[in-house]
Amino acid sequence: MSTVCWITARGLFGRRRFLLLLPLPVLLVVLAVLSRGLGVPPSSWGPPVLVGLGLAVVLPVVALIVGTGVLGAEIDDGTVVHVLTTPLPRWQIVLPKLAVAAGVTAITVAVPLFVAGLLADSVRLGLALAVAASIGALAYSALFVAASLLTRRPVLLGLVYVLIWEGLLGNVITGTRVLSIQHYVIALADRLAPTNLLETTVSVPVAVVMTALVSIGFTVLAIDRLRAFSVAGETS
Amino acid sequence: MSEPTGVIHDIGYQRYTGLRLGRRHVFGALYLHGVRTAFGLGRSAKAKIFPWLVVGIVIMVAAAVTAISSQIGESIMTYAQFADAMSWLVIFFVAVAAPELVSRDLRSGVLPLYFSRPLPHADYPLAKLLALVTALWLLLGAPQLVMFLGGAFTADGMRAVWDEVLDLLPGLLYAGLWAVVFAAVGLLVASLTGKRAFAAGGIVAVFLMTTPIVGVLSILPSQTANQLAGLASPSTLVQGIGVWTMRDQLITSPEAAGPDIGAFGPAYALAAVALVAACVALLLARYRKVAAR
Repeated sequence: MSTVCWITARGLFGRRRFLLLLPLPVLLVVLAVLSRGLGVPPSSWGPPVLVGLGLAVVLPVVALIVGTGVLGAEIDDGTVVHVLTTPLPRWQIVLPKLAVAAGVTAITVAVPLFVAGLLADSVRLGLALAVAASIGALAYSALFVAASLLTRRPVLLGLVYVLIWEGLLGNVITGTRVLSIQHYVIALADRLAPTNLLETTVSVPVAVVMTALVSIGFTVLAIDRLRAFSVAGETS
Repeated sequence: MSEPTGVIHDIGYQRYTGLRLGRRHVFGALYLHGVRTAFGLGRSAKAKIFPWLVVGIVIMVAAAVTAISSQIGESIMTYAQFADAMSWLVIFFVAVAAPELVSRDLRSGVLPLYFSRPLPHADYPLAKLLALVTALWLLLGAPQLVMFLGGAFTADGMRAVWDEVLDLLPGLLYAGLWAVVFAAVGLLVASLTGKRAFAAGGIVAVFLMTTPIVGVLSILPSQTANQLAGLASPSTLVQGIGVWTMRDQLITSPEAAGPDIGAFGPAYALAAVALVAACVALLLARYRKVAAR
């Protein structure tokens, strides 16, 4: 494990900051257990909990906080200079940070989704959701790490994508779902464990190709942007 | 023994002898500055991007709604329904504006400078809160005014215009309710951290994670739980009060089933008052500690 990984992980988790990541996954599990315990049929609690909370809120919000935290926080503090002045190639800075972000997001989201999927239907659905959410975590992390190098306000740019593009437009104009990571994840999970709980209009091949494109494309973009990174003070 | 030869030169330092404006003016200045900050006025173009993006979208939606309803000759969205339809944008605007209002001051450590003025502890958070409420109300109210102008100029006769006014007023009140509840919660979350990025993420997380709770509570087998489900999330809480007080403004077509709140309307109102009061109390407590440090 490289030093960059270690520094990034400590920056994310140090001083009990990891506690901030707990409420969302815990809420997901609590709601799933509550619904199951009170005997509500899974067909009625599955969509709001698994998709409405799990894939539409917990996954993107955790990915946003973690993904912009690994690099954006250092840029904000100005401490990124210490890493940039070491003789490391830029890709060896971006890739470990991306790996930490994707890994942390995947674990934080996949575990509660596995539990919720298990309670909703079967082990297979749980595993499918966990795997699809992990793949989605990678795509989201690549997107948000790249965003933190493109602008000084990465969280707001990410929120525009999550809230306005995926949340508002994705429900009104179904065509925009082709460019929505949330629907790739739903399509993948539905392919791995076909149930009537998950519904999307995006086809599986499109989802696979687009997820790979998003993950690789934004990683390359992030490395390229870090090559030409200019250290500037806060202006606005 | 030589005489001391030092000289004190008069370089023109003077006492301020002008009028000293008191607490009210400090509060007013802070409030006005807060409203301007929320929209990025008086700051660089970069700070204006996100607030004006939201403003642009809501005005565009209002203009589209006005154009369509004047073409087909019937109202497709009441003024109060407009606020409900824009709830995601309101959340985003709070996530943009609240960290700008309070997190920047925490980050740059200027609070001691503020509190060295004749400014009681309570005034700083209250001025910021009032500024955010005003900004949110303007955000929801301005598009309604656009819709009203469109409706008033297509209406025939003064009586129709007066009917539009009677529809607009509850819409504006409802927008005020949205503004108060969302500003109180959002500002409290933002005041907990000096990092704008974390504050924005936290605000969105708080507002978004509560909505699915309502979804689950409203499908539980108990009818009481279903009718009280809306209490779990700020947006459905506000909607519940709206349905209780101005049902005809929010539920226009008989097939569109609004949230069923049963006879718990007063409970919703009480919960909203309690929520806002709790948020304001916590906010005041938060700034008492900063001031003492």
